[in-house]
Amino acid sequence: MKKLKILPPTLRQKKRYMSFQVIPEIGEDFTYSDLEAGIWNTMLDFLGEEGVSKTSMWLLKDTWDPNTRIGVIKCNHKMTEKIIASLGLIDRLGDNRICFKIIRISGTIKGLNLK
Amino acid sequence: MNCYDFHVRSDFSEGESSIEDFANRAKLLGYKGICVTEYFQNKDHMEELKKKCEKISKEVGIEIFVGFQIRDTKELSKLVSLRREYDVLLVKGGDIELNRKAVETPEVDILLHPEFERRDSGFNQTMAKLAKENNVAVEVNFREILLSSKNTRSHIIHNISENVKLCKKNHVPIVICSGAVSHLQMKDPKVLISMGTLFELNLKEAKKCVSEIPESIIQMIRERQNNNWIGPGVKVIE
Repeated sequence: MKKLKILPPTLRQKKRYMSFQVIPEIGEDFTYSDLEAGIWNTMLDFLGEEGVSKTSMWLLKDTWDPNTRIGVIKCNHKMTEKIIASLGLIDRLGDNRICFKIIRISGTIKGLNLK
Repeated sequence: MNCYDFHVRSDFSEGESSIEDFANRAKLLGYKGICVTEYFQNKDHMEELKKKCEKISKEVGIEIFVGFQIRDTKELSKLVSLRREYDVLLVKGGDIELNRKAVETPEVDILLHPEFERRDSGFNQTMAKLAKENNVAVEVNFREILLSSKNTRSHIIHNISENVKLCKKNHVPIVICSGAVSHLQMKDPKVLISMGTLFELNLKEAKKCVSEIPESIIQMIRERQNNNWIGPGVKVIE
């Protein structure tokens, strides 16, 4: 199949990368799939399908570090506040009680200083 | 930016977590201080709470303020007479008469969730003018939104937005608090700021609600506890 021509930078959607840390309760743990399901379900409940479509949100699986429990969300630059507010509404992943800490927001992954 | 959470309730009265847990979680999330708001029982209880907060504050390294939450008008008059002995005076909103009484009392610092368990917003333009006159801040409670869902949550968000709109129009200070009864319900200050932006506040105003307005309340607390302070707006100048 023929590939689509890449959009020029001025026409591309401006994005933000948001690094976050999940703090579980002592003695409780969760898996990445719990996290993914938790985030998507809460976003869809709170913002609705149309709202989520406007955020252009994506959870970057490659950046998830299970040891430090730090991950990255990519979203539209105008919707970061809505994403953070929705993350605050997640208090459980599966049966485990957790809390989100927003570490940094940047226009590039490099700017997040993950390492 | 120094952030403060002015409404957490520990196991000292009805909460589920200890003050230590709250203090540790607050430090982890990046708060500079918290206010432990309890129900008033007697003076000994108040002294015990003050000592405990001071001890934990030194151990953990964050500021802990002692606040009392009023549930009825009788309690309000009792606690107003003891105003200098503790830090923050909060009124549990929800009852229309108590909401009105709270905004009429200059000794009150914060009116908590005026829309609590109500179908309407529990706050009107007259109350907003009185709140501005007496410098009473109105709280936006995150826990109310966190614990509700579907249509209840949408009603709560609507009522809070109405209150915020009135407060903005009348220049009433707004504070955004977690209202946590367990340390697990405490939220990152960035989450509280972002939630504020959903209630017709811009980012700058929302940041003010978590840092500058609590700081001005703290300044007022320090002034009040100063020996030169006589009453609201009256102090000895050396």
